[in-house]
Amino acid sequence: MSEQQGLLEIKDIHISVEDKEVVKGVSLTIGRGEVHAIMGPNGSGKSSLSNGLMGHPSYKITRGEAKLGGKSLLDMASDERSRAGLFLAFQYPVAIPGVTVANFMRSAVLSHRGKDADMSDFRKLFKKEMSDLGVDASFATRYLNDGFSGGEKKRIEILQMSMLQPSMAILDETDSGLDIDALKTVSEGINRYHNDQNGVLLVTHYQRLLNYVKPDFVHVMMDGRLVKSGGAELALKLEDQGYEWVENELGLKAGV
Amino acid sequence: MAKLDSEYTIPDLAPELQRGPTWLQSRRQTLREKFNDLPLPPRGLHLWRYTDPSKFMQAQTAEASATGSRFADLIEQERKHLSESHLAGLVTDFAGRDIKALGVEKLAAKGVVITALSDAVESHLDLVEKHLYGLIGSEMGKFEAMNGALWNDGIFVYVPDNTTVEQPLHLLRESGGAGSAQFPRLLVVVGRNAELTIIDEYGGGSADKKADPAYSNGAVEIYGLEDSRTRYVSLQRNEAATNSYLTHRAKIASGASMLTVPLAFGGALSKQNFGVILNGPGAESNMYGMLFGSGRQHFDNHTLHHHAAGKTHSNIDIKVVLRDKAISAYTGLIRIDETAQTCEAYQENRNLLLSSGTKAETIPELEILNEDVSCSHGATVGPIDPIQLFYLMCRGIQLEAAQRMIVSGFVVPTLNRVPQDMRERITRFVDTRLENV
Ligand SMILES: Nc1ncnc2c1ncn2[C@@H]1O[C@H](COP(=O)(O)OP(=O)(O)OP(=O)(O)O)[C@@H](O)[C@H]1O
Ligand SMILES: [Mg+2]
Repeated sequence: MSEQQGLLEIKDIHISVEDKEVVKGVSLTIGRGEVHAIMGPNGSGKSSLSNGLMGHPSYKITRGEAKLGGKSLLDMASDERSRAGLFLAFQYPVAIPGVTVANFMRSAVLSHRGKDADMSDFRKLFKKEMSDLGVDASFATRYLNDGFSGGEKKRIEILQMSMLQPSMAILDETDSGLDIDALKTVSEGINRYHNDQNGVLLVTHYQRLLNYVKPDFVHVMMDGRLVKSGGAELALKLEDQGYEWVENELGLKAGV
Repeated sequence: MAKLDSEYTIPDLAPELQRGPTWLQSRRQTLREKFNDLPLPPRGLHLWRYTDPSKFMQAQTAEASATGSRFADLIEQERKHLSESHLAGLVTDFAGRDIKALGVEKLAAKGVVITALSDAVESHLDLVEKHLYGLIGSEMGKFEAMNGALWNDGIFVYVPDNTTVEQPLHLLRESGGAGSAQFPRLLVVVGRNAELTIIDEYGGGSADKKADPAYSNGAVEIYGLEDSRTRYVSLQRNEAATNSYLTHRAKIASGASMLTVPLAFGGALSKQNFGVILNGPGAESNMYGMLFGSGRQHFDNHTLHHHAAGKTHSNIDIKVVLRDKAISAYTGLIRIDETAQTCEAYQENRNLLLSSGTKAETIPELEILNEDVSCSHGATVGPIDPIQLFYLMCRGIQLEAAQRMIVSGFVVPTLNRVPQDMRERITRFVDTRLENV
């Protein structure tokens, strides 16, 4: 693909959780307009990498570098990372009782646009994005993720992405928990968002999402490292044959 | 010196004791003796473990500085609401002494009485004699006896049977300045199948932390007769150097409902005791309260739901938010009598601690004397969930704004249980307090 300067540049990132190293040196460059996918067995560190990049308090980056659009992310607080253009759709979005989806979304958009920004278009935009993603209007006044089904939470994550228009979106297992129709709706949402200026990193276990959102690169993560990279065909092979052949090829032991 | 020592006794010639008709004078004398006989509550005594009782040993002083109304703007605004019929009436009470009722003429035509207690002891002798001290009398503690003996003037509200007071009645109680002591009192009787909403707001007092504190010791008695519907908001937003003590008791008859909304935001020390006695089948009591503390504010709150009759239903939800070095102790007692079969009683107290220097205690107490009840209680004490904070910040929201959102989210579900028309008024107070969280 393009040889332009990377949008997201990760160099030799190490991440620890409770003093245990779970990401053990990952380097990855994602260019503008690119879609990457990371696949890998449970517990291999995919969510740790995603959370660490976003500044999650439990996931400490102990070594390495991460830049977005040339700016170092690691000195920034999570809110600054977001305003710098990074977005993470969580594998397990947390509920915030008492805070409505609409209020939350308004505050988030306002924080991106700046305090004195014109918000007169917010309502209309929000309504449109909700309807495009098949989110019932009643969700606006519900408390954020409170009592939402697994699939509903995922849709709301993508709704947030569409509203915030980040330059780099990491989607951690956004496809899991979605029914067949929802998978299609959400994929269409991702494709509407994606353009030649932004980047997408999909963390997934299944090819079915990649049928809708075509990856330019597929990476395999095992035991805290990206051990293999390829094109879209790599995902098909993983779907077909599992991870054992990768382990054999690299002389790795399965599991942890 | 306004502050008294722990041995203080009320002299039998105290001028307050001579107020009112003979029967009242003799009740006052009984309460005076009660006060004098009772020792200062020892710190081990139930409900006194968290608060120093000597802080409430302060008596009325003749020179209590009358600073005039700090509520001038509020009164002006409420006058407007009165004229627009958004308010049923406004009663101002300065220092538990100077009572003025505004805009109550229209209601008077319906037989609704809103007046100074000193007038009511003459004009509505039967009602007052029957109910005054009926819920807060000599069987309670030292400080209840103190108010009972020394109250100067209070407020009396009576709603006749089958009468609905559609708009809220606002009571504005202002304490005097440094060193002052006041003993505000309220007596409410809501008739059969009648309806009333009261916003009982306590403010003023002293802001001067270097001078003697202002002291307010209040008593609120509310009777809800058969099938009545009463809503009572108690809003405490005293100035910073004010100590307050408040005892509230309501008794509701069969089929009656009572909503109590205790809100405590102000003062240096605030000890409040809210209790509802469910006295007839079908009675229902809900208490939805909120408390915000910062600096070195000290709150000690107690609630009581006493199920004295079967087929009664009670529910309590109290939210506490503390910052800096603020302290809160909450003791919630549910008592279900042996004869009170088939009751439901729920109680929840959640505490959100925004700084590591804060302290919150939450003590549920259950005295359930029969098996045929459905009862549950829950309590939590903890800081803001860092994962919730992270989630909001991940969407670009700054730390302080994210914290404020979570705090607001913490209290909003409780606020939303309050009926819409009242919620709008309360939200204003809560929002103002939240801005400083
Ligand atoms: N908060 C945490 N506390 C303790 N251990 C954790 C925590 N989060 C992750 N881990 C550990 O870190 C390792 C990597 O977990 P991670 O969630 O990153 O895996 P994953 O690749 O996303 O797995 P999955 O496909 O199941 O989502 C696992 O061993 C996991 O148990
Ligand atoms: Mg994961």
